[in-house]
Amino acid sequence: MAASDSPSAAPILDVVGVTKRFGTFTAVDAVNFGVRDGEFFTLVGPSGSGKTTLLRMLVGMEKPTSGEIRLRGKVINDLPPNQRPTCMVFQSLALFPHLSVGKNVEFPLEIRGQSSGERRTRAWELLKLLHLDPHRYYDKNIAQCSGGERQRVALARALAYDPEILFFDEPLSALDARLRKLLQKELKDIQRGTKKTFCYVTHSLEEAMVMSDRVAILRAGGIEQIGRPDEIYASPKNAFVAEFMGEVNLLPVTGGGDSTGAWDTGRKTLALALPAPLAAGVQKKLLIRPESLRFLRPGEVAGNRVPVRILNEFSLGSRIQYHVEVAPGHTLTVERLREERTTATEAELGWELADSQLLDA
Amino acid sequence: MKTSAPVPAPSADASGSSLFGALAALPFGALMLFGFVAPLLCVVWFGFMPPKTFALLQAPTLANYVTIFQQTYFKSILWSLGLAGLTVVCLLVICYPLAFALAKIFRGGASFVTYAIATSLFVSENIRLFGWVIGFMKNGVVGGTLATLFDAQVDSLLYNIPVIVLGMVYVYLPFMLFPLALGIKMVPDQVREAAFDLGASRWQVFRKVDLPLSLPGVLIGSLLVFVLSAGAIAEAKILGGQKVVTIAADIESEFTYAQNWPLGSALSTLFIGLTTVVVFVALARFDLEKLLGKKRD
Repeated sequence: MAASDSPSAAPILDVVGVTKRFGTFTAVDAVNFGVRDGEFFTLVGPSGSGKTTLLRMLVGMEKPTSGEIRLRGKVINDLPPNQRPTCMVFQSLALFPHLSVGKNVEFPLEIRGQSSGERRTRAWELLKLLHLDPHRYYDKNIAQCSGGERQRVALARALAYDPEILFFDEPLSALDARLRKLLQKELKDIQRGTKKTFCYVTHSLEEAMVMSDRVAILRAGGIEQIGRPDEIYASPKNAFVAEFMGEVNLLPVTGGGDSTGAWDTGRKTLALALPAPLAAGVQKKLLIRPESLRFLRPGEVAGNRVPVRILNEFSLGSRIQYHVEVAPGHTLTVERLREERTTATEAELGWELADSQLLDA
Repeated sequence: MKTSAPVPAPSADASGSSLFGALAALPFGALMLFGFVAPLLCVVWFGFMPPKTFALLQAPTLANYVTIFQQTYFKSILWSLGLAGLTVVCLLVICYPLAFALAKIFRGGASFVTYAIATSLFVSENIRLFGWVIGFMKNGVVGGTLATLFDAQVDSLLYNIPVIVLGMVYVYLPFMLFPLALGIKMVPDQVREAAFDLGASRWQVFRKVDLPLSLPGVLIGSLLVFVLSAGAIAEAKILGGQKVVTIAADIESEFTYAQNWPLGSALSTLFIGLTTVVVFVALARFDLEKLLGKKRD
C-alpha cells in the first residue's frame, strides 16, 4: 500500500489486542489496528458489532478488559477522558443547553484557564471556520439553533479543545439525507484543512466511503477488513463485507473440483463457471454486482447464463433495477441503464467470469 | 360529524377542545375559588377590622398594623424567616449528594430509598416530633444510653435552637430531596461526559454542568421547604419549648387565647405578603426556562 510508505503515515493511535467483556458477553474481541497521523479513519459496523464500546474505550469512558491502547507509543488504558489529549463529538452532540453558542465553544478553553479575551478570539475563529457567522451566532442560545448548526457548534467546541485525535460517535445520524451529505463533505474539508486525525464511528458504510481515508469494518466485536474504501469495494474479504457494502448478489455455490460450481436452488441445480478453481464440496459465495448482470439477446455469448423470470422493476433515475427470480425464493438484483430497458417477463441472464468473485461465507 | 367545508373544521375543533378544557377545569376552579381565594380575601379584609371584634362589615382601619409595628412581632417574623433559611441551607447540603445518588447511582435501589423516605410521611408530624422529644429529653434514649455506656451525665438536649433546626430539617427533608432528585435526573449523562471529555475535573463538571442544569430542582425544593418551614409551628413548640416564638405561634395565640382575630389576620396577611415577596424575588432571579435552555425569544 502506498499510503503506509509515506512518512506522514506514522501511527498516532495503536490498538493492540483490545478486548472488552461485560460479564460473559464479549463486546470487543482482541481487536488490532492503528490510526495514522492526520488521516480520516472510520470504524463501521452494524449495531451490536461493538463499535460504540470500542469508541468508548478509545476516549477513556470504558476500560479495556485486556489489551493496550497506545497514543504516540504511550499506553493510555487507565487515563481518564479529562486527562487525554483526545475528545469526542457525541451522537447526541451533548451541547451545554444553559450556555450560549460562544460559551459552548469556549468551554474547553475556560477549563484550561485562558483569559476571556483569548477565548473569545479563538471562538470567533472557529465559528468562522465552521461557516457560523460569529456576529449572529456567538450570543445565540443553543435551543435556537437548527440541527445542522448544532453539529457545527459541537465540532467547533471539540476543535477548541485542540485534540490530537477527534472522535465522532455517528453525530450525523439524526439529520435528513441532504443535510447529512452536505455536512459529510464539510467534515472532510475541515479534516483536510486542520490536518487533524479524525476517527469516526458509523453504521453507514456509505458515510464511511464518502469521508474516510481508511475504513475498518467491524462484525461481532472483531474487525473483518481494514483498507482504503476503493480497496474494500474492489475486493471485499468475505460475504459479510460485500453485503455490508450495499446491494449485491451472493450466490451460494458448491465446488466441483475445477473452475465449476453448483448452485442448488432447491428446485434445480445450476452449473456455473467460476472465476477461480474451487475444491470439490467446498461451499463459498459467488459475488456478482447488480450492474454486472445483463439480459442476453438471442445468441449472445456470456461466461454464465441463467434463465430467469422478471418479477419487478424499480426506477433509480438514470438506471432501472430489476428483481428477477431464478427459482422460487431465489432472487437476484439487476441494474441496467434506462436505454436497455426490457419489458419481457422471461429472459436469459448473463455475466462474465471476470465480473464475479468467490468469497468466504 | 364531518363538516362539509374542510377549511373551518380545525378551528371548530380547537374551540371545541378549549370548551371541554374549560368544563374540565370548572370543578377545580370552583374549589380554588371557594376554598382558597375567598377565605384568603376574608383574612386580608379581617386585618383591617377594629381590634378584638368579630364582624366583617365595619369601617376599615389600620389599627392592627400600627399595633404590629409598635410591638415586637418583627422578632417572631425574623425568627421564622431565619429558621426557614437555615433549614433550607442545611437541607441543600444534606440532600444534594443523596439526591444525586437517587437520580444517577442507585438505579434499582432508588425506589427502595424513595419508599423508605416517603413512608415516614405516613406518620403525623407531631407524633414524629414527640419521638425526638423522647430521644433527647433528660434520661431519654440518647441521654440514658450515654449514661449507661460511658457513665456520662447528659442533661436534656431539648429546648435550644439547634434542636429546632434538626426537627425542621428532619420533617421537611422529603420536600427538598424529591425535587432535587428530579432536577438532577434531568441533567443528561452525555452532557456531563462531554464536559469531562473536554478536560473538566469532577469538581468543574459539578460546578459548570450539574449545578446549573439541576438548578430548577434546587429552586423548587428550596422554595417548598422555605415556605413550609416559615409557617412551621410544631418544631419550635415541641422541641424548642418557649425558647423561640415563631410568627405562626404568634398568629395562633391571637386567634385563640387573645381572641383578637383582626390582629391575627393582619399578622397573617403581613407574613403571607413577606413570603410571597421572597418567593417572587427568587423566581425572578432564576429564570427557570432560561436555566433549562428552553427559552426562545
